[in-house]
Amino acid sequence: MSNTLVKRPTELSSNIVLLCRFLRTKGFPVTATEEADALRAMTYLPIQKEIYFKRALKAVLTKNRHQQSVFDDLYVEFRQQLSRATDAKLKDVEERRPQQSDSQKRQAQFESLKDWLNLHPSEEEKEVSSFSGIEVLTKKDFVDLSEEEMHLMMRLLQKMARRMAHQKSRLRIRSKKRNRLDLKKTIRDSMRNGGSIQELHFSKRKDKKLKVVLLCDVSRSMDLYSRFLVHLIYAFQNAYDKIETFVFSTALHRVSPLLDNHAFDQAFDMISDRVPQWSGGTTIGSCLHDFTRDYGYGMLDKKTIVLILSDGWDTGDAAQMKKAMKHLYKKSKKVIWLNPLAGNPDFEPEALGMKTALPFIDVLASAHNFESLKEVLYQFRKKRNLLKTQLN
Amino acid sequence: MNTEEVPQLKKMLREQGYIDDGSIAMSLFLAMKLEKPLLIEGPAGVGKTEIAKVMAKSMTKDLIRLQCYEGLDSTHALYEWNYQHQLLFLKMQEQKEQDLAALEATIFSEKFLLKRPVLQAILKEDKSVLLIDEVDRADEEFESFLLEVLSDWQVTIPEIGTIQAKSKPQIILTGNRTRELSEALRRRCLYLWIDYPDFEKELAIVRSKVPEADAKLGEQICAFMRELREMKLEKTPGISETIDWARALASLHLTHLDKQIVEDTLGVVLKDWQDMRHTQDALSELFEKTGVTSRIG
Repeated sequence: MSNTLVKRPTELSSNIVLLCRFLRTKGFPVTATEEADALRAMTYLPIQKEIYFKRALKAVLTKNRHQQSVFDDLYVEFRQQLSRATDAKLKDVEERRPQQSDSQKRQAQFESLKDWLNLHPSEEEKEVSSFSGIEVLTKKDFVDLSEEEMHLMMRLLQKMARRMAHQKSRLRIRSKKRNRLDLKKTIRDSMRNGGSIQELHFSKRKDKKLKVVLLCDVSRSMDLYSRFLVHLIYAFQNAYDKIETFVFSTALHRVSPLLDNHAFDQAFDMISDRVPQWSGGTTIGSCLHDFTRDYGYGMLDKKTIVLILSDGWDTGDAAQMKKAMKHLYKKSKKVIWLNPLAGNPDFEPEALGMKTALPFIDVLASAHNFESLKEVLYQFRKKRNLLKTQLN
Repeated sequence: MNTEEVPQLKKMLREQGYIDDGSIAMSLFLAMKLEKPLLIEGPAGVGKTEIAKVMAKSMTKDLIRLQCYEGLDSTHALYEWNYQHQLLFLKMQEQKEQDLAALEATIFSEKFLLKRPVLQAILKEDKSVLLIDEVDRADEEFESFLLEVLSDWQVTIPEIGTIQAKSKPQIILTGNRTRELSEALRRRCLYLWIDYPDFEKELAIVRSKVPEADAKLGEQICAFMRELREMKLEKTPGISETIDWARALASLHLTHLDKQIVEDTLGVVLKDWQDMRHTQDALSELFEKTGVTSRIG
């Protein structure tokens, strides 16, 4: 059996090395260890059967699901490139004259094959590989995203929001993990046994859970962003344990119970059924006032972040707005206002509602793309800045 | 080099009732030959854990199982000092005059070491199969604990020193992709993704696992399951559900599916009430697709 290996040792092993290089250009993390494993694997296998050969390489060289699913195609591609390369070589030696164009083409193919085998990706490839899909997406305006991209984006956001939701408090509580010895408890417990310590107790830092109140404007002027809002609300709703979501246009509606118990599409059908003013006019002031009056006591405290999504176009009473905003500001940890219009570089908070609210907002952000939302999420962690800095 | 080894392994798997399409046998074969851990991922209920069991059985080796969960740490996976035992020992020694260094050496000796699964596995004289189940449920720190064992076959205990493996155990890790595993862990393993089986494979599995089931019934069940997996369900049923269902129906001495039976026994297959409701609504459509004619009367 080992004869076969000896017969063409260079060719087989060099082909495996070539394949490894090829896979590396395709983003597989093939290191020297994998190459060595692949070569070693070959010594255990009957190489006459290509299916074994392929399967073995697949088992050794792939490291996650995605790679495993694309391996077969890449393998075929590699085989083609390889045979094309050897063809070109043979033709080149035997006959140079016939069909200039054809041999030239082959030559070019061979050159390009040589290129990527030597890890010189063409300019085009370089450009493509340097921009991963996500990176481009994060800078894209939400309005331009396709439905699928939006889903992806929101999943990313949700992941981040969830991470941000769990801060560590300074309080320590009992823990099963052996992180830090809880001396106080250990010693106190040992008293029962006359001071001999029999059991060790440990402690960990307590989880500090963030509370969020999300107030979302669904009036007509926000129509353009409604698709984004819908996704954002849902992403947030599932990221935070303690979140209350309200939508408002001319009246305030509490929607968190609906969001909690239903699937995405269902929930939003139900909400748009129940909120008759969806895409109507706005009276932000009175809605915020309703919130502070009806829900303020239970939901607002110094651990709560109030997140308002609105463009600030208000047809209501400015004085009422001011009063409500003042209340929100005083009773909460932070007030963050997301205004989709603020993404525009020429944006000035001109709308009357916006102007009135401005003194009572900790952070005014645009939230028109993922990058800016990320910035907002970081703000969740920070304490209120009493000197007031504003994003954008 | 042996041409027979892979088919042999395949046959061994088959004898234990494990049906395989080639890639599983190859991965197992290479994991054994290259002495590398095997990381298996895939949806729930496609037989990831079963592979380790079958492997241990067919090689007649011991199976040591470590079920991972959130908060699992090295004291539960690798080793722990038997603290109470140590204390009692010290108390007993108090009366006697003894050399301190010698005493310390005794306290931190194997006598007071509680061996947890991983240490157990590498200390076995005989090669064993170590199954680290649902490794993605454990915390990321735990993965780091494993790295030393996975690549160097050793465990370092500060008080004693490094313990080398007496025999290299065959390690199998499984995961459901609830969390992305670290690159460092992946690098040290061979990787295998198992997906839901196609119709023929599933049928073969049902035939081998539930031989008492009627041939027609088996086909209908597999066809039904295939359509069911096409639906958008909260929890897509795996092979284990198929087998359970086939067993349940076979024990009722049924020879074919009909609407009433499916409705009554759907709880065997679906474990989520919303899924149940959706499926019940779409039952006629499902039957049409699978080509089962509901016999009335």
